[in-house]
Amino acid sequence: MGPNWVAFKTLFECLDLEVIVPDPTNRAAIKVGVKYSPEFVCFPFKATLGDFKNALDKGADTLVMAIDCGPCRFGFYASVQERLLRDMGYDNFNLIPLDQADLLQFHWVKSLEEISGLEGLAKYPKFVKAVMFFLKKAKLLADIQTAEGLFRAYERNQGDTTRTVKDLLNHLDQTNTLPELRKFQSFIKDAFRQLDVDKSRHPMRTAISGEIHISLEPYVNLDVRRKLGEMGVEIHQNLSLWDWITHKFHLNYHRKWLEHLSRPHVPMDIGGECVWVLGEYIDRSRGGFSGFVHCYPFTCMPEVTARTIITNKLKKMYDLPIIFFSFDEQSGQEGFRTRLEAFVDLMQSRREQMLKTQNITIEEISKKFYDSNGTKFFHECLKIIQNN
Amino acid sequence: MEATEKTAGTKIKVGIPRALHFYRYFPFWKKLLEELDVEIVLTTNTNKKIVEEGVTHGFGELCIPVKIYYGHVMKLIRENPALDFLFVPRYVSEVKESFFCPKFLSLPDVIKIIPKAPKLLNFEVNVKEFPIATAAVELAKQLGKSQSKGLNAYKKAQEYFNEYHKFLREGASVNHALRLVERDSPFTLPKKKHKGDIKFLLLGHAYNIFDTFINLDFQKKLRDQGVEVFTIENLPESIFKVPVIVNKRLRNYWIHEEEIMQSIRYFLTKGRKEIDGVVFLVSFACGPDSLISELIKRDMKVVGLPFLEIIMDEHSGEAGLLTRVESFVEMVRRKKRKLLELEAKQRIEADQKIDTSLV
Repeated sequence: MGPNWVAFKTLFECLDLEVIVPDPTNRAAIKVGVKYSPEFVCFPFKATLGDFKNALDKGADTLVMAIDCGPCRFGFYASVQERLLRDMGYDNFNLIPLDQADLLQFHWVKSLEEISGLEGLAKYPKFVKAVMFFLKKAKLLADIQTAEGLFRAYERNQGDTTRTVKDLLNHLDQTNTLPELRKFQSFIKDAFRQLDVDKSRHPMRTAISGEIHISLEPYVNLDVRRKLGEMGVEIHQNLSLWDWITHKFHLNYHRKWLEHLSRPHVPMDIGGECVWVLGEYIDRSRGGFSGFVHCYPFTCMPEVTARTIITNKLKKMYDLPIIFFSFDEQSGQEGFRTRLEAFVDLMQSRREQMLKTQNITIEEISKKFYDSNGTKFFHECLKIIQNN
Repeated sequence: MEATEKTAGTKIKVGIPRALHFYRYFPFWKKLLEELDVEIVLTTNTNKKIVEEGVTHGFGELCIPVKIYYGHVMKLIRENPALDFLFVPRYVSEVKESFFCPKFLSLPDVIKIIPKAPKLLNFEVNVKEFPIATAAVELAKQLGKSQSKGLNAYKKAQEYFNEYHKFLREGASVNHALRLVERDSPFTLPKKKHKGDIKFLLLGHAYNIFDTFINLDFQKKLRDQGVEVFTIENLPESIFKVPVIVNKRLRNYWIHEEEIMQSIRYFLTKGRKEIDGVVFLVSFACGPDSLISELIKRDMKVVGLPFLEIIMDEHSGEAGLLTRVESFVEMVRRKKRKLLELEAKQRIEADQKIDTSLV
């Protein structure tokens, strides 16, 4: 899932394991996935199958896959993929599922034991270190994602942010001591301070949400974050590995709030991100956003439900422009770009209309928006831009 | 005014769309609602108009059964403006630690936003949280009936439903049984029993197999070819007692799929000789089936049981389907004939051996 390999790599390296990171998802991997998968299974299945084959070809002997026991297809991934890989002729591997249904039940400790082969009391210091580093890095990844979404809309030279993020990811991957990790947040800020930004801009603000794999993996979602950012749109994305893990530890109050918002429309978790997408849509429309992007894999059951409810009901109630992208292996770049451009145009004209009719200046809109949105780190980044 | 009219003797009218869970739970619903003094309004069988309406309302990526459900609901709303309630149950889990497909979990939520939809009767089957009897009591409350009446209705409905299942296990087809239930007639097997030289197991969700429009009357097509067809509902209860282990770490959590896998496991192991082929009807974009059918296909290859997977959507063409079915039946028949010939030959040879040894 996008840059999250950094966090998972630490998790297993701290357990004295050698980690083989598959190539970033690419055309070849997806081709393999499509060839061996069932025809209309959802797209993350195909992409991850391709990644697994790539890792096995590179010499991995143990694969780790997250599983769930929810109502959607995700729970079946690990076992069906194992079967497919064995039928493809790979015999010497072990696929270990990492149960993420409820992290407070600590099933994952057992999985970690199995993966690392460590036993007895001596394992615990290592486990604590691994999990601590994993969580730290996941949080830092989320921070990088936040800063990236903001800075790209303000950068003068297109591509600066992308380069900075790439450097930061490599640097984060190399950082393996606790003091350095503690200081890493200010390191991120320093790196972004170097950018040449144009603070006189007033970008549109868009939220991205949807199925977690699709939203986070840039190859699969045709790099929607970068493309929108380069059109001068500020990206706000709550969805990240950190967000998901804190939710599974029952500590994510933001998600609880989103659940509360969506309860009148869907009263229970039906798998995927359906409930939170609905909640986020409502939340964002109240927060003064200019648009919403919903990404999901083709035929994803929960997200399709979310889409039905948004198009038929919520859109009329909350009036926030939304664009849906359903991704599979057939996605085309140019059509995608055209749709994005049209969407940005739509947001632009809506804002102009608002400025005309409601008699407020653009500075007031921005102030109102930033007062009610963004985390602490986000506001710190904002200050960097304003003081530049 | 309306309330006084209701008390004067007219029954509450509740609409049930003839789609999705109708084919699985209708006898239960019927008894339950009738015990609560409710008049049931059913839609007709699925036809082209209903499908078209559903397809225009639901958007492209939904699976065809849900689109058809939309069509039925729209028809109900349009043709019966006097409808008091719409019965759209929410099936979450019927057995502990299991789920239905996410689309069933959120079915009432997507139906209630249809324009002009009447109020929905809330009937939530969620064994994880509370027993079904509680749901029945809730249902009675919404209809203005007492708690004991709700409980009684539930008991009676459950009895009737068990009886219905017993009848199915005797070999009646679901369509026949549902027809009897609708007419309130007693359960009797049809006089003319269909016989064929080869036996097929027809797999799939009830709403795919028994909705004769969506699958272009697939059962009749098979019968015309001289094939004896039976479905999961006709199998003995003992098959469904032990859960299937796909993988030592995976617990299958979809209840329909679990039944499909259980019946398949039976025919892959003990009941291998009982059938000659398996046909699996899958609707396009069906989430659970996309993975299950893959697993089954791979199992079938190992055992060597003929297997045909047919994917249906609203564009199904009759001619192409017929060709596929015919060729599949022909293939299975030839295979069986060869097998029989081979067996006969072996028997003769064995007999000769005995003869020679005697001499």
